[in-house]
Amino acid sequence: MDKQEKFIVPIGPQHPALKEPGHFEFTVDGEVVTSATARLGYVHRGIEKAVENRNWTQAMYMLERICGICSHVHATAYCLGVEKLAGVEAPPRAQAIRVLIAELERIHSHMLWWGVAAHEGGFDILFMYTWRDRETVMELLEMISGNRVHYSANLIGGVKFDIDQKQADAIRKGIDYLEERTRHYLEIITTDETFLGRTRNIGVMTSDQAKSLGAVGPTARASDVHRDVRIDHPYAGYDRFPVQIVTEKEGDLEARFIVRLKELFESYRLIREVLDNLPDSELTVKVPRKIPAGQVISRVEAPRGELFYYIESNGSDQPERIKVRTPTLPNWGTVLSTAVGLKLADMPMLLVGIDPCFSCNDRLVYVKDQNQSLTEKTWSWDDLRNHGIERYK
Amino acid sequence: MNNILPIVALIIFPGGLFLLTSGLAYEWVDRKLIARFQNRFGPRWFQPLADTVKLLAKEEIIPQGVNAFLFILLPVMGLAAALTAALYVPMAGLAPSFSFRGDLVVTLYLLSVLTLCLGLAGANSADRFSLIGATRTLTQVFSYEAPFMLAMLGPAIVTGSWQINEVNAYAQSNLWLIIAQPIGFLVALVGLMGKLELPPFDAPEAETEIVSGALTEYSGRGYALFRLGKNVELVIGLTLVAAFYLGGLASPLDFLWKTLALLLVLALLQTLFARLRIDQTVGLWWRIGALLALVQLLVLIVL
Repeated sequence: MDKQEKFIVPIGPQHPALKEPGHFEFTVDGEVVTSATARLGYVHRGIEKAVENRNWTQAMYMLERICGICSHVHATAYCLGVEKLAGVEAPPRAQAIRVLIAELERIHSHMLWWGVAAHEGGFDILFMYTWRDRETVMELLEMISGNRVHYSANLIGGVKFDIDQKQADAIRKGIDYLEERTRHYLEIITTDETFLGRTRNIGVMTSDQAKSLGAVGPTARASDVHRDVRIDHPYAGYDRFPVQIVTEKEGDLEARFIVRLKELFESYRLIREVLDNLPDSELTVKVPRKIPAGQVISRVEAPRGELFYYIESNGSDQPERIKVRTPTLPNWGTVLSTAVGLKLADMPMLLVGIDPCFSCNDRLVYVKDQNQSLTEKTWSWDDLRNHGIERYK
Repeated sequence: MNNILPIVALIIFPGGLFLLTSGLAYEWVDRKLIARFQNRFGPRWFQPLADTVKLLAKEEIIPQGVNAFLFILLPVMGLAAALTAALYVPMAGLAPSFSFRGDLVVTLYLLSVLTLCLGLAGANSADRFSLIGATRTLTQVFSYEAPFMLAMLGPAIVTGSWQINEVNAYAQSNLWLIIAQPIGFLVALVGLMGKLELPPFDAPEAETEIVSGALTEYSGRGYALFRLGKNVELVIGLTLVAAFYLGGLASPLDFLWKTLALLLVLALLQTLFARLRIDQTVGLWWRIGALLALVQLLVLIVL
């Protein structure tokens, strides 16, 4: 045989390990992975373009729908940016409530994640238990906003919901229960032999690697990279209610679990602090319908890492351009570079280890050829639109 | 009359109908127990039957690139082997239908045929998940089979006979062998889990990695038969372990409570652990399982 045949295991676009469509090809030698590639873009939804046809208020609801798990941080990033452009600042109470809901959301996102990650490792009992306990925080969010997923707590210039004493007590009670459970799960994750066999020293990423690959969020913090927007550039109420950074040194899958779990204790502490010290003020300030022309960059810390918003206004009541980079995108590189040399069985957990959100990170890429000119191969907006109409006619 | 009894044995009891029914019933108990341990409701009592009926009614798709003859034959062979094995085992606590010297070895081999068929079915397919599943299935066979056999030989050696019936009788009249040979019991029980590819030894069919392993391309009839085969093997395996280690099976009541107690332990073990990687499985069996079983055997022989 003159040509070495490669045995490629395709994972996706449809595969039981993936909850969303994405395509990964792992070249394996027996059980050992020798190379890994990713192909994304199966769930591009054109949200960035869609918000350009909506006014500033409508755009917020559209952008919230980028992510079905961390909808609040998207709205927060957007509102903070637009408020900066408009030259207003939300009142302190509104900022505190933004922090409160963001932390509740972090709890629900992390609990969802470690359930899924445990399931990928075949540890279904942890999956079932965490998702049961996650209902507590979902119910709290529903109590505050009336919705379990898209709470829409934000407004440009403030928040929609106030927290009264009764709600505060319910949140405290829920947090107490969750804290106790999280302590229990932390013990399981760090002591269960079979689970450690699947996480300890798997997918180790050094601190330098994480930095050069541009990892963000818990993935980076598990490799001892001190990177957290809440601390580096406090936004909303985080200057009033500071967060302690949580990092781990090992950089393996276990560390990614531990970082996320320990972060939750920080969230619990923060939520209690916010509830105890809710500043008294209005909930909203008046924001003009037309936002002054200008550009702004807004960054917040989503549960998965740094969420980046670029907002451009042309002075009308509609945004000129909004660019979103979700934390999943910079983290893909870490998966592909740590995959080589591991076993095929580690792949699902490694993939899920960064807490990927496929449909959040899918963006249209506008490729120009080498001469930076638009050739026939390049599709314009009209071409794309016609293609869409033809295809789904 | 002489001709009717063997036919009854084959078709109704303990072969055929009884085995299939009890297999489905035990599958339900297993699923329900695991669900309750995981804080879920779990399936209703007729769910395994409904699954089987549904699968049997479905169109069977024979994929491209497989040997169609083998594709159809393998599930039938697997199920047939598992059903045959029941004839030498004290099903429901009654005397085995057939018995001869050395039937223990035959039974153990018959029980392995299903796994072999699974492996072959995966290798027969052109699908990449099936191929990896088949490799893992066969790798796993080599890891648990030897310790499992050694664990089964322990009681046979103290009895001085390789006839299941006699081992069963010996177990009834003596101290429960689980007390005399605890290691053997453990290896046998865990070996059974490996045989049935139950979690945490379900790497060959790890859904998050290789979809459904060797059975990925099976649908409809073939899949139903493989599932039934596994259920039947679960019942036979439980019966064997109970007969050997839990003081034998003297009556149907004995059979019921002993096998169900074993199933409870099995379900607990299934929920407690994360899935082992195939290299971890092999390591576990050869480094710990086989060694322990060997030590036990040596002790028995020397004594």
